[in-house]
Amino acid sequence: MASIIDIKEECALQVRDFEFTYKGATSPSLKKVSMPIAKHSITALIGPSGCGKTTLLRAFNRMHDLYPGNTYAGEIEFEGRNILTPKEDLIHLRTKIGMIFQKPTAFPMSIFDNVAYGMRLQGIKNKTELNDRVEKALKDAAIWKEVSDRLKHDANGLSGGQQQRLCIARAIAVEPDVLLFDEPTSALDPISTQGIEKLVIELKERVSIIIVTHNMQQAARVSDYTGFMYLGELIELGQTEELFVTPKEKLTQEYITGKFG
Amino acid sequence: MIDKIFFNFTRFSALLILVIVAWIFVVLFNQSIEAMNTFGLDFITKDEWAPNLDKFGAYAAIFGSVASTFLAMLLAIPVAIGVAIFLSEIAHDKIKGFFGVSVELLAAIPSVIYGMWGLFYFVPILRDIFGGMGIGLLAAGIVLAIMILPFMAAVTRDAMNTTPDILKESAYALGGTQWDVIKDVIIPYAKAGIIGSLILALGRAIGETMAVTFVMGNVHHVPGSILDPTTSIPVTLANEFTEADSSLYFSSLFGLALTLLIMSFVVIAIAKFYFLRKARRA
Amino acid sequence: MTAVQKRILINRIALVFSTLSAIIALGFLFWILGILVMKGMSALNWNIFIYEGAPPGYEDSGLKHALTGQLILVGLATSVGVPLGILAGTYLSEYGKNSKLAHAIRDISDIMMSAPSIVIGAFVYAIIVMPMGHFSAWAGAIALAIIMIPIILRTTDDMLQLVPGTLREAAFALGAPKYKVILSVVYRGAKAGILTGVLLGIARVAGETAPLLFTSFNDNFFTTDLNAAMPSLTVTMFNYATSPYEDWQQLGWAAAFILSMFILGLNVLGRLILLAGKGK
Ligand SMILES: Nc1ncnc2c1ncn2[C@@H]1O[C@H](COP(=O)(O)OP(=O)(O)O)[C@@H](O)[C@H]1O
Ligand SMILES: [Mg+2]
Repeated sequence: MASIIDIKEECALQVRDFEFTYKGATSPSLKKVSMPIAKHSITALIGPSGCGKTTLLRAFNRMHDLYPGNTYAGEIEFEGRNILTPKEDLIHLRTKIGMIFQKPTAFPMSIFDNVAYGMRLQGIKNKTELNDRVEKALKDAAIWKEVSDRLKHDANGLSGGQQQRLCIARAIAVEPDVLLFDEPTSALDPISTQGIEKLVIELKERVSIIIVTHNMQQAARVSDYTGFMYLGELIELGQTEELFVTPKEKLTQEYITGKFG
Repeated sequence: MIDKIFFNFTRFSALLILVIVAWIFVVLFNQSIEAMNTFGLDFITKDEWAPNLDKFGAYAAIFGSVASTFLAMLLAIPVAIGVAIFLSEIAHDKIKGFFGVSVELLAAIPSVIYGMWGLFYFVPILRDIFGGMGIGLLAAGIVLAIMILPFMAAVTRDAMNTTPDILKESAYALGGTQWDVIKDVIIPYAKAGIIGSLILALGRAIGETMAVTFVMGNVHHVPGSILDPTTSIPVTLANEFTEADSSLYFSSLFGLALTLLIMSFVVIAIAKFYFLRKARRA
Repeated sequence: MTAVQKRILINRIALVFSTLSAIIALGFLFWILGILVMKGMSALNWNIFIYEGAPPGYEDSGLKHALTGQLILVGLATSVGVPLGILAGTYLSEYGKNSKLAHAIRDISDIMMSAPSIVIGAFVYAIIVMPMGHFSAWAGAIALAIIMIPIILRTTDDMLQLVPGTLREAAFALGAPKYKVILSVVYRGAKAGILTGVLLGIARVAGETAPLLFTSFNDNFFTTDLNAAMPSLTVTMFNYATSPYEDWQQLGWAAAFILSMFILGLNVLGRLILLAGKGK
């Protein structure tokens, strides 16, 4: 069976027996997944395409609820409560658990408005506060220097890597506790990828991070813990070094040595 | 050999389109020369249309076309956007499918049927509410609005549907509500496409004959109120073309046709080549 | 109220408004459809298919003249418009491609697709009815064909472009001349799409009234003479509906119902063919 490491430190999230079935699908895309997510660290999810990484990631901020008809069971514990209940306040949850997508998703508005968007949704109108927090978010996302002189410009004029960092700035501007990354560098060139990876590592000081990646080297470079998924199951979760050097499961071993995938 | 023949056949057919369009303009222009020479600019600035006196001023018809189309757009645009939002963002899959197909099929119903409905069922209601004849600018505007609505809603929905899912999800992921996503992401993203769709619908409405010809009144008068009967270019053409009895009368009707063609060409070209092209590039 | 609560409230209100507008719009449209079906069905009987037009008040009056006239007009228009449209679309997709000429033709044709149909009627009146001195089925059919060509052209062009280039290359590699490749490979690959385009084109012109008003004009009696005025369902509907006679108005609704069912049937069929083609 699966070999899941017991995490000693404090956990940001606890997944227990999570099962997920897409609307109309005959079999579940996730089967009895249980895993802890350590606080202020980076957990990577790896595995062959279609194994359920994105599906699991999108459960943490209840993105699946945007599309009616999906069914799920089990528990995800966050701040001491199960967030999978119907009475969960999704607007609040999503400000606490932010998300970065596979492709940059700059909104059709200015750079400043992009970053200010989440704060404005929360009702922050004060000009100075907005200015300060936008500046801080852009600095934290390591893009301030590039855009400080053109905050009023359309965000779609930025390069792909810049847009992705803008999206990160937008997400951290609302000060979430957890950030979800779904293959954030898959659309980027190697240099931009490096920049994003460096940024992700810096961010773990302040947030807990889960990153889905198809790239094992990336998982090895940035993460503290790595989970290997296969056909909807979490096969192994361990400290990244251990998982890549001395995997406990045969499937993990085969995957990281490139026997399949 | 056969290759060459086949190629020439296809090229001939393709060029035929250009020839026909050019030919339409040339013919309409030639036919309207008499009216243009006789009336000059008065043709489009005077509203006296008196066939018995051989006096033809198209201002009332032009005004009626513009006013009825404007009224129709005023009524149809908010509703069409509402329907498009409902179809693209609110309705569940099954309802979406059913209503979506309904709207598209309704867009295929011949416009003459909207006109018949207007005459027999809607005009009496207007008469009851406002008194008078019921026939007039308001009736025309409303019937036109209803006729254009399915087309407008369908193309507006298509424009909204071009917004990538992950862009919408990004706004939800920041704690946005459905309406936040619609107004901050979908509408700004699809703006060019939406405007283009609306203008395209306007282009269709302005040239529409059969939906309004029953309910407008065909009176060559700039209406004093929206309840008064008036006319539009297509309505005048539909009612008077077979009655014209002098060459100047015919020429004036061709002048109307040319005016209408130019108006709709300009509107459609703006929709297609400015907004919709911009939307496709984005 | 906090900012978030306010946002949730606004969200509710906005969604209710959109849903309401959808309900209102569909309400109106189904009202019209309902009247069409009820009035049409109640006016429908066999006499309609047996008798031609008659003065108001006669028992034995029907729409045989208009039904046949409609079929003749649309049939003629189709036999002119479809080949020309398909050939023109073929030129754009297979020969013209991205040339300036091809783009100009696409643009002009696109505008024509939404141009006022009554203007086409005026044009045909000037080039055919005036020289001949009388209305004719030919004139009506040509007006309809002119409306049809851009629709067929556009769908053919789009559908042919969807046929993968590798399919063409494979046929060329076997030494087939271009026309053969187009006729036997490209057309076959785009069969469903072209057929759908043709059906939608027919449906579109079948509902046209305005371009027929002064080209094929109207006639209250059965005729197959292509050189004379010819009745159509749409113009008959227009004349009967505006008449003060109850029985003529009834026939008008019957005509409206038959025509709408025909057009909706073509639209549904076109969709089904496209779906079936995609399923493969
Ligand atoms: N929207 C969807 N509807 C139905 N099935 C889906 C959907 N998205 C993903 N799946 C299925 O769920 C499984 C897991 O997909 P996903 O989580 O996207 O995998 P990964 O991110 O690891 O590549 C796959 O078998 C995929 O086909
Ligand atoms: Mg994925």
